[in-house]
This record gives sequence, structure tokens and C-alpha cells, in this order.
Amino acid sequence: MRKIGVFVCHCGLNIAGTVDVKRVVEAVKEYPGVVFATDYKYMCSDPGQALIQKAIADHELDGVVVAACSPAMHEVTFRKTARAAGVNPYLTEIANIREQISWVHEAEPDAATVKAIEIIETIIEKVRYDEPLEPFSLPLVKRALVIGGGIAGMTAALHIADAGYPVVLVEREAQLGGKMGQLSSLYLNFDTAPDLLQSRIEAVTRHPNIQVLTEAEVTELGGYVGNFTAKVNGSEPFTFDVGAIVVATGFDLLPQSELGEYGGGRYPDVIDSLQFEHMLAQDEIRRPSDGTLPKEVVWVQCAGSRDPELHKPYCSKICCMYVAKQAMAYKQRVPDGQAYVFYIDIRSQGKGYEEFVQRAMTEYDVLYLRGKVARVFAEDGRVVVWGVDTLSGKAVEVQADLVVLATAAVPSAGARDLAQRLRVSTDEYGFFSEAHPKLRPVESLTAGIFLAGAAQFPKDIPETVAQASGAAAKVLGLFAQREMVQEPTIAFVDEELCAGCGLCVAACPYEARVMHPWKPIAVVQTALCQGCGACVVACPNKASSLHNLATEQLLAMMEPVL
Amino acid sequence: MCPVKRALVIGAGIAGMQAALDIANSGYEVVLVDKMPSIGGRMAQLSETFPTLDCAQCILTPRTVEVGHHDNIRLYTYSEVESITGEVGDFTVRIRRHPAYVNWDICTGCGVCQEKCPKRVPAEFERFMGPRKAIYTVSPQAVPNKPVIDRDNCIYFQRGKCRVCERYCPVGAIDFEQQESFHEERVGAIILATGYDLYPLAKIGEYGYGRIPDVIDGLAFERLLSASGPTAHLARRPSDGKEPKEVVFIQCVGSRDPEHYMSYCSKICCMYTAKHAMLYKHKVHDGQAYVFYIDIRSAGKRYEEFVQRAMEEERVLYVRGKVSRVFRENGKVMVWGTDTLSGRNVEVAADLVVLAPAMVPKAGAGAVAELLGLPTDEHGWFTAAEANFQPVETGRAGVFLAGAAVGPMDIPETVAQASGAAAKVLSLFARWSSEVTVTSQVTVT
Repeated sequence: MRKIGVFVCHCGLNIAGTVDVKRVVEAVKEYPGVVFATDYKYMCSDPGQALIQKAIADHELDGVVVAACSPAMHEVTFRKTARAAGVNPYLTEIANIREQISWVHEAEPDAATVKAIEIIETIIEKVRYDEPLEPFSLPLVKRALVIGGGIAGMTAALHIADAGYPVVLVEREAQLGGKMGQLSSLYLNFDTAPDLLQSRIEAVTRHPNIQVLTEAEVTELGGYVGNFTAKVNGSEPFTFDVGAIVVATGFDLLPQSELGEYGGGRYPDVIDSLQFEHMLAQDEIRRPSDGTLPKEVVWVQCAGSRDPELHKPYCSKICCMYVAKQAMAYKQRVPDGQAYVFYIDIRSQGKGYEEFVQRAMTEYDVLYLRGKVARVFAEDGRVVVWGVDTLSGKAVEVQADLVVLATAAVPSAGARDLAQRLRVSTDEYGFFSEAHPKLRPVESLTAGIFLAGAAQFPKDIPETVAQASGAAAKVLGLFAQREMVQEPTIAFVDEELCAGCGLCVAACPYEARVMHPWKPIAVVQTALCQGCGACVVACPNKASSLHNLATEQLLAMMEPVL
Repeated sequence: MCPVKRALVIGAGIAGMQAALDIANSGYEVVLVDKMPSIGGRMAQLSETFPTLDCAQCILTPRTVEVGHHDNIRLYTYSEVESITGEVGDFTVRIRRHPAYVNWDICTGCGVCQEKCPKRVPAEFERFMGPRKAIYTVSPQAVPNKPVIDRDNCIYFQRGKCRVCERYCPVGAIDFEQQESFHEERVGAIILATGYDLYPLAKIGEYGYGRIPDVIDGLAFERLLSASGPTAHLARRPSDGKEPKEVVFIQCVGSRDPEHYMSYCSKICCMYTAKHAMLYKHKVHDGQAYVFYIDIRSAGKRYEEFVQRAMEEERVLYVRGKVSRVFRENGKVMVWGTDTLSGRNVEVAADLVVLAPAMVPKAGAGAVAELLGLPTDEHGWFTAAEANFQPVETGRAGVFLAGAAVGPMDIPETVAQASGAAAKVLSLFARWSSEVTVTSQVTVT
């Protein structure tokens, strides 16, 4: 019989504040197979881990149960700890008594303690039936696919290529450059955007490790981290293997036709900020309606942003700064003109940003009005903007020659479809979801697929560049491995029991199950299997099983809670 | 000579750890240096993190443990970089390790010394609201989990008698004779991740900090909210330990104030203040939270929605305006201010006032800049080679920047940017590597 040790973590007061850990230890000590049980303040700390290792040696344990936080937190930690002391990592299991108990049953400490004991006992049963396993290795294709040829995608591609790995860069448009290609200048220095961009485009197109496919889109993706197969449709279709993918599809502006309340799509002299960038880039600031020089220009910030009732609830993050830049650039060209900015909050968070906006106000006399615009209408060839200055409480009316809407940034058209093809999740707006909002900002939840730039959420150029480099670091880290390591806790087929009905092939969501080329049985494509168990459920003959989640094991695990 | 494919990372907060892990996980060695006895930096002091309210320790400890046990990371804690010579590809770094007065090679981290030490001292980590001993680890989850003796507070060092820790140490690890030690490391690239401090509030008279015990800073409030903090995650005010029923949060204390203090926006305060107000309300359901602000800057994924939740679900009252006076009256902290939206004066009789101080460069960052001959801006932050296209590069080849060493930055931005700095190092190393040769034109067919 397996000799099992149980280690109950207090997690400070996170667990011990609700669960009576001493009582838990006393109870599980009595459970068959348990030869040692103890508790400790922080099991994940160095002394906690040392305690586990000492107990493994002293009591010759060959199974370990750590009752602590979610396995998503420290399963890796404790498996490493146990392995170093000679216990197979797959004979080390976590009983989650924090997320599943102490955090949700704060009001019932007694019942929580009983539940903790039961959960630990189920995991003891699991360990009893666990088989020692070893991860297996798979080949790794050291070539990257970057989707999107804006500043994010180009930055990521250059980093990966500079490190010596081949990169395929796929861009939907005919030109590289993305949204940055439409800008006139950059804040804070009014550097000319096209010049800066051109040097990047040249670096990308000339790089011997980068192959650029323009007017092309990824139409299909199969495989898994280290071994994806991508299909790209362009002037000619390509199919190729890549080991990692960077999604850098960027953003679009909310079509101004959807912003009728600000005159968007209704009046020719109401334009969006990219149209104004175009005017600045051409050095032709003219009213679209009659070609005259606008002397009174109104910028409307948050047009469609921070507007949960009608449009997007989120802040588009980049508008405050580019509006200040546009207003200043306008004043540089039309010194006797007047610039007005309607805003809710001025969000100039960044190095030198606050000072930049202050310059717009003090040096360029841009008039900032805190308030929402109530009405925009045309009258006598001008666009009249009504609003309220919430600071003075007074109504404001501006007879504008031109109105520029800082429209909400939205995911690039087609982002949702692409996400589906890549099997990557997005948020409700269609921005790609990062693996963890704090600590894994450049990874998607799909292994091997990383995120760069505004595809994840609106961000300005410095942040995009830094983050795209970060995504490249993840690719380089992956490519630094000799081979891919795959978890062994996946499905297998008992050939004796398999009738070859094929139900599991249909049930598998990962295309990991196929029929044997000539034998009437199903086989697992181990590299694709995620261990979800759908095949186990589908199989009428009990021929499909999961390693370390066998049916008899699950039944034994149910015993303590029944 | 062959360039050295090894990196130095200065600062082991979340930025330095992320950069070190990205490099180490790619198979290269990293020398990681931190002034503190253990790693984790500021993030280790935080309670829960916006916008998901994940507990900071819970998401941080997997990282500190990974760094602490990583085969490719050589940790120098309680250490400072003394000098750096050489150039990209071959820097020689001299590291000074402070004497811990504990032989870490034999110390098992059992904690008996800390238990027995008779001298209690207010703990820096707890913002001086909770105690530590004269021999201490920074926190219970410290990595490495080895104590140091604080010489200035040690009874033996000050009066020549005591040695209780020595008597009780089961392995004889206490070493009162220990001297500082010097270590030399060769590296090819350097990442600066020196982080930030808070503006010394004692220099800002107008909000009563230092004079009124119930005026505290945001980091102190983090400790009050923390499960491992001095009040075991109950909101208690310092003066009398009572649960505060009216709490005023004041943003931009020392920030956005070019006449008196810092001209810049500290970037993270709007979000953590919203979080503070929300967490406070989770603990004190019948309490009222007020936030004085200039602009609410919730520009980030789910940030705007988070602040809206604070307002709508937790009924946090946001008052747009500056605070004019804070003073003590009948056991309360009176806060006078103006609501610039209504134009009216506002008066709150608060039980606790929490200030969001400006972020400033870490003490000692200037010295690091000098070692490398790097420029800093007028406030002392490191400057990027070029703001838009080279946000993590410095003017010096092979030297890169990560996290709040460059300026205020929140955790996700820090982590992404630290990985960016790591990418620069990895690109360099790859180019120096004989194994990776630039392949000819890739063609997919």
C-alpha cells in the first residue's frame, strides 16, 4: 500500500482563519494509507517545502497530498519539491481547500472544516490510485507566425528574427505599417511618424529571416504549441508549420456613422481623428465641405468610449494624448485659430504626458472644457456644438468650423473570426484575452499563442512596442527549449475493449482522436490530447481512459464524500 | 574574446523577477541582485490587485519560489552593486553583500531565532504599523527564507550582551563576526529594475501626515487590508484600533503639482485607490468611502468598469477637487475640500485618511545610473533611448530598463515591459551564440 503524507497549509489566515487546520490534521491522520500528516503556516515557503522533503525522507513516503490553494497556483511548486525528494511528481496532488473551501465558506467554519477533511480524503484516494508518470517530449518547430504588420507585429517579428529564427509575417493590407502608417506625427516630440515607420518597414522587408506575406490572411490553424500548421490565403495559398504565433491585429475606430449624436456621418465637417491625422500629414487643414481653413475646431473626446448606455463602457486609453497632440499641431499651423477640447477626465498617464497636456493648455491656449457634448447640429455653414462645462456649471456653445471626434478604439475588423480560427478567447468586445491580467499580459490562454499591441486592448506606441518585445521574449523562451514537453495526464485507449465505433473521434474537441489506418480501433494523437475526458464519457465500452483519472479511481475518490 | 551570455538584473521586484525568469527559462544564466534580504519587491506588500482582486501574495509566491529555486538564477539578496566596468558583452560587476550576521549556508530558516529575540522593532515592511524582531525575515513567505540581524536594533551589537539568538539556533548559524563580502561576476548584458519609492510624505505638511496618526499612506492601507498584515486583514485605524466608519482617500498627493512637488501623474493611484475603497467596503459594509480626485484615470483593460463598480455597487463617493485642509478634532480627522463640480465646500469628519503619494525613483537608483554613466530625467527616473521605439533601451549598448525604474507603471505594464527588456537580452545572446546562425531567406511553400 502506498505510504501517503498529508500537508495542510494555513496560507496565513486565508485557510486557517476559517478551517480548523489542527482538527483536519488529526482527522486525516487516521485515514487508511496516511502515515504522516502535519500543518504549516505557508507550505509554499522554503521551510514549508523543506518540511515536506524531510517527511518524505523520514517516513519513506511515496505519495504526497498538499492541502492548500488551487493547483493552478502551486501544483508545479509542490511537484518539484516532491520530485527533488524522490517522489514521482504525478504522485503529488493538491487538495484545494482555499478557493473551494475557506474563501467560500467563511461564515460556516465548522462545516468548512468537515468539507476540508472530505476533500483531502478524496485526494488521498486519488494518490492511492495514481500511477507514476513521466512527461513526454515532442518536436518543436522553431519558426514563428506573426499576424498583423503594424508596429506591434513588426517589432515582435524583428526581435524573433534578430535572434536567428525564421518568421512569417502575414498582413491583410497591401502595405506594412498598420495604423501608425496613417499618423502624421507622434507625441511627445512631434516626430514625423512616416519617417520612423519607414525605417522599421525596411528593416522588416530586408531581414533575411522574415518573410512578409501582404494581402494575405490566416484562414486555418491546426496543431498545437510547437507544432501548428497554418494556412494562409493570399495571392497564392500557403500551408506551413510554425511553433509559435504572435497575434498583432491592432484596432479600428468605431465608425463615426454610429455616432450620430455627435453629427458623425451626418455633417461633412464632422470627422474622426484619423481623418484629421491625414490632414496634418498632408499639411492641408481644410474643411471637407468647402475647403476653407477652419478657425474654430472642437475635439470631442470619449466619442463612443466610457458610454455604457449607448456604446463602449471602456476608456480607449490613447485619445487624451493624441487629441492634445492634434490640437497643438493645429495651432502650430493655424496660430490664430482656436482649439476646444471636450473631455470627461484628462488621462495623461505616462512619462512627460501630464506636462505635454499642460503645454497644450498654457502654451497653445487650447481650451479644455470638462463636460459631455449634448448636441451637434449644422447652422449657417457651421457646426454648432452645445455642451456643459461641468466645472462652471454653465452651458457652452461653440460655433465650430470643424469637429473632430476621438472615436472609440475597437478590435480590428475580423478579430473575432480570427480568434475562433486560432481557438483563442476574446473578451465581450472582441479584444484578445490575456492569460492573466496581472502577470501574464502577453500570453493568450492557448499555449504557444502570444499577444502584441492593441489586439489585446488599446495602447499607445511606446506601450505597444514594449509589449510586442515582451511577446517576442515568450517566443524566444519557447524556442530556446530543445523540444516540447507534454503533460502525460492524457487519454489512452484499451485496444482489447475498443470496438472501433468512432464515437470518441466525434466527441474529441481537439481533433486528438482518429481511427487507426487499418485496425478497427481508435487511437490517441498524444500531442493534441488535452486530457479533457470527453472521449471517456463518449465511449460505450469503457475503452477510453485518462491516466490518473481512471474510472475506478474516480469511484474510489467519491467514497469519502458519500 | 567571446561575449558573455549571462545577464545581470538589478532589482528583484516583479519587474526584475520577470526579466530574470524570461532569460533563465531560455537557458541563460542570470545574476539577480536586490538590496532587500528577500525578493518580491513592492508587490509583496500589496493586499489584492486590481481589477480582479486576486490576492497579491497568492499570484506572487509562485514567481518568488520559481526564482528562488531556478538553476539558472544566482541570487544576491541583501546586496548592492558596487561597480560595473567593461562594455556590452563583457561587463565585470562587483557586488557587495551586507553582513546578515547569520551564516545562510547552514541556516535552515526554522525561525526559532526570530521567536526568541527579545527586541521588537516596528517593521518597515508593515509601514511601521506592526512589529518585527531585531533578527528577522521580511515576511513569512520570504525567498530566500533566511534572517538578517538589524545591527542598529540588536541588543548585543548595541550593548554587548544578549546573544539569545545564538543560544537558541539549533545549527549554530548566528555569526556576529560576519563581515560584508565582495563578489565579482562577469555578464554580457544588464537590466535595471530598480523600482520606486513613495514621496516622503513628511515633507508634505498640508495633509497632516506624521502629525495625525490616522493619516496614513496607500501602502500602509495595503498592509491593513492584507491577510498577513498587522491587523490580519481587518480595517483598523492606527490611533485606537477602532474600525473606521468614514474613510477619505486623497489622490495626487505630491503628484500633478508642478508648483510644489512633482509635475507628473503617478499613474497607478487612481486604480489602487478605487481598489482600496472597494476592499474597505467589503470589510466594513456600513462604512462610507470618499475619494478626492482631479481626474479619474482608469485607462486600461477593465479599469473603467472597475471604477464604475466602486461608484455604483460600493457607493464610493467621488469628489472632484483638491483638499484644502486636514486637521484633528474630537478624535476625528477633519477633511475640508472643494467639490469643483458643484462649486461647494465639502467637509468630512473622517476616522481615517489615506493618502496616495507621488511615486519617486527608488533611493539608490541615481547611484546605479552613475555606475553606468546613464542619464536620468529631472526627477531621477531612468530615461529610455527613444520614447516611442526604444522604450526599454538605454543610451548604452547592452543595458536595458524594466518596470518603474523608468517611471510610474502598474503591474501588467511592468510585466510586459520587463519581458520586453528580456527579449532585448535574448536577441543579443542569440546573436552571440554560435549555435544559432542566421538562416537564409525563409520561404514557405
